[in-house]
Amino acid sequence: MAREQPNVGDLLPLLESSDIHQLEEIKGLINEHLSTERGAMLLNGLVDYFLETNSAQAIHILSSVREPHDKHLLDKMNECMTKQACRLPTLTLLGHVVRKQPSWIHKIARYPLLLSLLKCLKTDLDVVVLITGVLVLITLLPMIPQAGKQHLYEFFDIFGRLASWNLKNPGHISEVYLIHLHASIYSLFHRLYGMYPCNFVSYLRSHYNMKENVDTFEEVVKPMLEHVRIHPELVTGTKDQELDPTRWKKFEIHDIVIECAKVSLDPKEASCEEGYAPMPGNFYPHLELRPQESVSSPYTDFHNSYGSSSSTPFSTPRQPLPPPLSLASLPGTQSLYRSPQTSRSPNSSCELDTTCGVKELWSPSSLCGMATPPSSSGMSPNPELSHSASHLPGHRVHSTSGGKGTPASSTPATSSPPHTLSDFPIIPLLSNTTSPPQKDDHPVEAAKPSLVKQEPIRDSEKGGEVINRDVGGGETISMTLSVFMKEQELQQRTEREETAISEELLKITKDKRDLAGVRGFDSPFYRTTETLTGTQEKPLPNLPLGGPMPPRDPHHAVSTSDNELENAQGGIGGGGDSSTGLALDQSWSIEPVCPFSPIQHPLHQSLSALEDEVAKFGGLFSPSHPMKKPSLPYEALFDLALPRAASLFVGRRTSEARGRAALEKLCQRQEGLEDREEEGKGIVSASPLEVLDHLVQQGSDTHDKVLKRLPLPSKSADWTHFGGSAPLDELHTLRSQLLLLHSQLLYERYKREQHAVRNRRLLRRVINATALEEQNNAMKDQLNLQSVDVVTLKESLQVEQQRCRQLWDDRETVVTRLHSQVRQLQQGRDDYYTKNQELQSQLNEYQKKMNDLEADLQRANNKVCHTGHLLNQMTIKLSTSESTQQQMSFLNKQLLLLGEAHKLDVLQQQHTGSDNTKEAQMVQVSWGKEVERLRQSLLQQGQKLEAAQQRVGELETHLTKKEHLIVEQKKFLEDVKGQAKGELQASESRYQAQRRVTQLLQTELLHLYSRLEMEGHTCPTTASAAGGSSTDPGPPIDSSIMEPDGSVTLGTNEWSDDRRPSQSPRGNGSTLLPGKPKANNSPKALPVNSASSTQDIPPPLLVEPSFSCPHAPLATPMPPDAAPLTVGSYPSANSFLGMRARELFRNKSESQCDEEPPPPHLAGLSQGLKTELCVEPLFPPLGNALTCPVPASILGAPLTVPAKEHLPETRQRAIKQESPRRKMGGARGGGAAAASAAQPRQQQQFRIMDYNETQQEHS
Amino acid sequence: MAEDPQRNFRSAYYEKVGFRGVEEKKSLEILLKDNPLDVEKLSTFSQRFPLPSMYRIHVWKVLLGILPPHNDSHSLVGGYRREQYQDVLEALKVMRFVHMATPQTQVYLRMFQLESQVLPRRSDTLPPDEEDEDFLSIARAMEEIVEDPMDCYWLIKSFVNQFNNKFGDSIPHLPKSLEHYLSVEEPRLLNHLKNTGALAMLPYSLWFRRCFAGCLPESSLQRVWDKVISGSCKILVFVAMEILLSYKIMVMGNSRPEGVVNILCNVSDVIIIGGSVRISWRFETFLLCLPITLLCFLLYYQMPQENTDAIVTKAIDLWHKYCGTPMHSV
Repeated sequence: MAREQPNVGDLLPLLESSDIHQLEEIKGLINEHLSTERGAMLLNGLVDYFLETNSAQAIHILSSVREPHDKHLLDKMNECMTKQACRLPTLTLLGHVVRKQPSWIHKIARYPLLLSLLKCLKTDLDVVVLITGVLVLITLLPMIPQAGKQHLYEFFDIFGRLASWNLKNPGHISEVYLIHLHASIYSLFHRLYGMYPCNFVSYLRSHYNMKENVDTFEEVVKPMLEHVRIHPELVTGTKDQELDPTRWKKFEIHDIVIECAKVSLDPKEASCEEGYAPMPGNFYPHLELRPQESVSSPYTDFHNSYGSSSSTPFSTPRQPLPPPLSLASLPGTQSLYRSPQTSRSPNSSCELDTTCGVKELWSPSSLCGMATPPSSSGMSPNPELSHSASHLPGHRVHSTSGGKGTPASSTPATSSPPHTLSDFPIIPLLSNTTSPPQKDDHPVEAAKPSLVKQEPIRDSEKGGEVINRDVGGGETISMTLSVFMKEQELQQRTEREETAISEELLKITKDKRDLAGVRGFDSPFYRTTETLTGTQEKPLPNLPLGGPMPPRDPHHAVSTSDNELENAQGGIGGGGDSSTGLALDQSWSIEPVCPFSPIQHPLHQSLSALEDEVAKFGGLFSPSHPMKKPSLPYEALFDLALPRAASLFVGRRTSEARGRAALEKLCQRQEGLEDREEEGKGIVSASPLEVLDHLVQQGSDTHDKVLKRLPLPSKSADWTHFGGSAPLDELHTLRSQLLLLHSQLLYERYKREQHAVRNRRLLRRVINATALEEQNNAMKDQLNLQSVDVVTLKESLQVEQQRCRQLWDDRETVVTRLHSQVRQLQQGRDDYYTKNQELQSQLNEYQKKMNDLEADLQRANNKVCHTGHLLNQMTIKLSTSESTQQQMSFLNKQLLLLGEAHKLDVLQQQHTGSDNTKEAQMVQVSWGKEVERLRQSLLQQGQKLEAAQQRVGELETHLTKKEHLIVEQKKFLEDVKGQAKGELQASESRYQAQRRVTQLLQTELLHLYSRLEMEGHTCPTTASAAGGSSTDPGPPIDSSIMEPDGSVTLGTNEWSDDRRPSQSPRGNGSTLLPGKPKANNSPKALPVNSASSTQDIPPPLLVEPSFSCPHAPLATPMPPDAAPLTVGSYPSANSFLGMRARELFRNKSESQCDEEPPPPHLAGLSQGLKTELCVEPLFPPLGNALTCPVPASILGAPLTVPAKEHLPETRQRAIKQESPRRKMGGARGGGAAAASAAQPRQQQQFRIMDYNETQQEHS
Repeated sequence: MAEDPQRNFRSAYYEKVGFRGVEEKKSLEILLKDNPLDVEKLSTFSQRFPLPSMYRIHVWKVLLGILPPHNDSHSLVGGYRREQYQDVLEALKVMRFVHMATPQTQVYLRMFQLESQVLPRRSDTLPPDEEDEDFLSIARAMEEIVEDPMDCYWLIKSFVNQFNNKFGDSIPHLPKSLEHYLSVEEPRLLNHLKNTGALAMLPYSLWFRRCFAGCLPESSLQRVWDKVISGSCKILVFVAMEILLSYKIMVMGNSRPEGVVNILCNVSDVIIIGGSVRISWRFETFLLCLPITLLCFLLYYQMPQENTDAIVTKAIDLWHKYCGTPMHSV
């Protein structure tokens, strides 16, 4: 990029290259560079380049600069604004940029450029700069409505300053400039009034209240105020409200412009929204009259139809032709489109009236045609036309003289004459070469007429087509003629024009001065009159020229061409007017149907014409192009921007100058402009606008050249003729005027674009509205259809409802019937049910009966059985009775026999004797006695029995009593047993406690002893000393312990020696003794103990039985033997401690003795036992019952006894012999022995210790 | 019953009005008049009704087997007991396990140890272990209840023996059954305790191993022990539950075990003087690991009488409700 930088910079001059491709390339390069490069270098270069060369390409590039560069651009421009020299071009550039409406334009309010612009406008004295600046400002204002508010008073100041210029003229500039300036102020006034009415009015009020400004107001501002109506904002709005940014939010730029235009009464400035298109120039004058002459003008202006209708009456008086009045009045309420025609009609011949009439017929439709096509259609024609017009400069003069409509409208008007101009050389050629194809002829010969007529041909392929062609053919002829005439007249005309213009100028200026106070020189009236007069004055030359008055659209162009045609025809001989009229009638009536064709054709044709022209006749006729090209459009445009008179004046001046220039430097131009023709060729591909601008610039350049070459005298002569200033000044003036014109042209073009934008939007709205209407209609139709549907549906619904009702009724009846049936059935069912129940009850009854019967039957059966049984019995009885009867009979027989025998016996006895009776009596007595005795004995027996029985009873009661007693006894016994058991338990526990206590005491004792011994070990001397009488000096310690008492030890030793053989059993016994209590728990221990004891017999040298025991304790505890051991050790305790211990022990042993009784207490002998035990240990029967502790104590006793009491040996022996027995007894003695089961182990340990000691002793 | 000539004819009326004690006392007197006392009936009575305090000791003695059922042998056995007591005491004195200054409970403990053959050597006497502690607290409570040291010792010994023999196995299950009954009675509280983790920290040993000795004042404790002595350890569960229930609101109000502890502290402002020694070592043993136990202990160590009476009454009602009234005919 950096490398390319210089290249790009170098490329700038190449922008002026004539080569199109190169130009494109360079443009592309620069644009590319701009899009990639962020820096301001290239842009600054471009600006500088533009300032130097005024290059159109540079403008083009600069005005389309994108976002990031806007800052650089604006900064650069701001920088340039500070330089006086660069100011104008900078402003021009700014104007271009602003008109381009880049997206970032709103930012301009934030940049210092705006401030510097305002400052420049407030301070600068150069009128050209001022005007350009003002125009730029006016253009800019709608773009920055919100931002403008902070500079509002600066705007107003600018306005005030510039307005006062008109009177005071501080810059001492020529009046020509003043006119320009005034026009621009007028525009500014409108803009400010439209945008900020309240503020502006208040400003005006305050500013022109001042004395020194009154004149200015009277002269300048008041006429301006007369051209505006009261802004509605003045009524409803406030100063603050109109500055509110929200107010502008809903407005687009063009909306603002239109808003501003709406309040204007000046037809040039005002916009008629409904009428849409600005009025053609010719019509404006009529409108312009109104403000001055009628009070109701605002209203008429408001309502376009009225305006049009009312305007014509006013205009007619001025116009020489009455028909337009009638025609104009005829349409009445029709739109303004007609009025242009009417207004144009005065310019054309009377024949135009018919066309006007015809146009009145089609114009509404044409309006529609305008509205319906897409925006491009609305837009394109004008540039095309203007473009074509700009290429055909030959007509400029005419247009300037005649066409003073809007710039856009004027161009098409001018476009056609150029054709004619260019055509007249062409036509012959064409007619020679390409005459046969009529279609070709048309475009070439007369672009506009052909345009119009081609459509009729295409659209209505009828007889009209033929006529048109005929007419077209006629046209060509007529055109050529007219062109020739024109050609000839051209020079005459220019001259004539010159003079006429100068005259008019004088007159106008005079008028202007006269009327300045009254109407303001901006009144277009003069111009119109001027044009009218002009046209009237030069009917012939102007016929073709004046005819093509500025129509805005192709139709107008058509009309103009038509006019032209008609004029031509009229000029030639006016043949076939009716035919053309008819054809036109047809064509226009059809036109709305295809609105596009007119657009295409003009473009095509104009282009083709241009090409043709360029190609063939450039050399010849081009000189005129450049000369007139630049001036003409500006003037035409200028007319719109400026007040009529001024524009006229300027137009005259310029045309005059141009005319002069054209006359003088025709040849030169012809030579020099060939290049431009080429350029033009290049431009052809570019936008027409660009072409136009280009042309303007070229024109100005050439103009410069020409002017420079002009000899001063001639110029001076010219100017002196007008009494003007010095020629140099004049040149300068002209040049700056040119510049001004250009800028104003651009401004107007910008305005037009705004309008176009608005058009497009409105069109869109109309389309939308119609579409919506259509939709509405369709929906209405649909609604109708649907309502019909609804109706039918309702009917069907009713039918269905009826049917439904019917069905319902049917159903109802059926239901009721069914119900009744059901009821009947239910009744039946109930009946059946009751019957059934009855039957059931009957059945039950029957069943009951059956049961009864069955019971009866059973009973009967029973009876039968019974009876059967009885019968059997009876039969048995019967049989038995029978047998008894037989026996009876047999017995009876026997009885009889016996009776007989008895009788016989009695007889025998009576016969035998009487002594038998005595005996019998005796026997009887004895028998009686015996009976008596037996009876007595029986009685006796009975008594005895009774007694016995009584006895038995007694005994039995006794027995029971006894049993009772026994039971009670048992119970009691039980009681006693329980009691005894309880007591026993108590004593048992007591005994246990006692044992525990004893054990504890023993352990304690042992503990003490062990401690003592330990002490003894440590100090044996003391021990021996304590031992005192110890005979055995050898074993110092043990002896002292073991054998404290020599005699005793001897004795014991003896016993031990004696009983050595019997020691083992004893030892066994001793071991068994403790083992016995254990034996209950673990009898196995017994043999082991015995075994161990037997084994260990030899070692125990001690005679003491206690010493035989120590071996056993290894395995089993021997609590009872503890006593012997202690005994054994007792003697050693002859010392003080020993004595004490003995005493203690004794106490204990005594208590032990006391406590021993518990076992015997069972027999209640505890007390006795105690004594017995103490006195005599032999207590065999009891001893058996006694528990082992007893022998233990006994064992212990003898050992202790020897020390104290010397028990007899026999007794000891007895004891010792007893001990085994006792063991047996103890073993038998069960429960009691068990009580002594547990003995503390500590004792064993102690014994072991003792044993060890004895071992030591032995060793 | 009404026909029972020995019974007051107003008895029905008494019961209606609520003076149950009158009847009960009478019944108890009747029971006690039997020569061989029916221990079973007595225990049933003790379970069903509160014992009149004048007969309490006697009944306890009988129930615990200190006195045989036969009235005749009472004096004899009593003599035995006394002698045994004195012997043991004497032995201890001789062996210098105890001396004049030894606190009575300590003496009881030594005696008990001696009798159960676990008396340590004097030289290597250890600080009392857990079991000894339980014994001591029970002894303390008993000491309060019983005046005569001999009776006291015997009651303590028998009580502890009986308790350990009879309920030794079931005591570890008591917390579980407490949980169960609590879930039946007041599941919310149980959940709260569970959630806060206080459940595990409740003073079970105090409650169940010592039968609330040192927790409830003696007057209330007596009634609990009536039931325990008469052969039910379930009552302990219900007493514990009733304690929890009666402090439910405060316990529920606190989510942290420490909070529970605080409540307990607030409830019981009595820390008995006699317990100071124990508290000191308790601090050593429990405070660090189980502060809740300690504080619960502190709380329950001595609760206001009126509260505990109500608690015990309610607990007995609950116990009757859940375990049924022992239906041995009175």
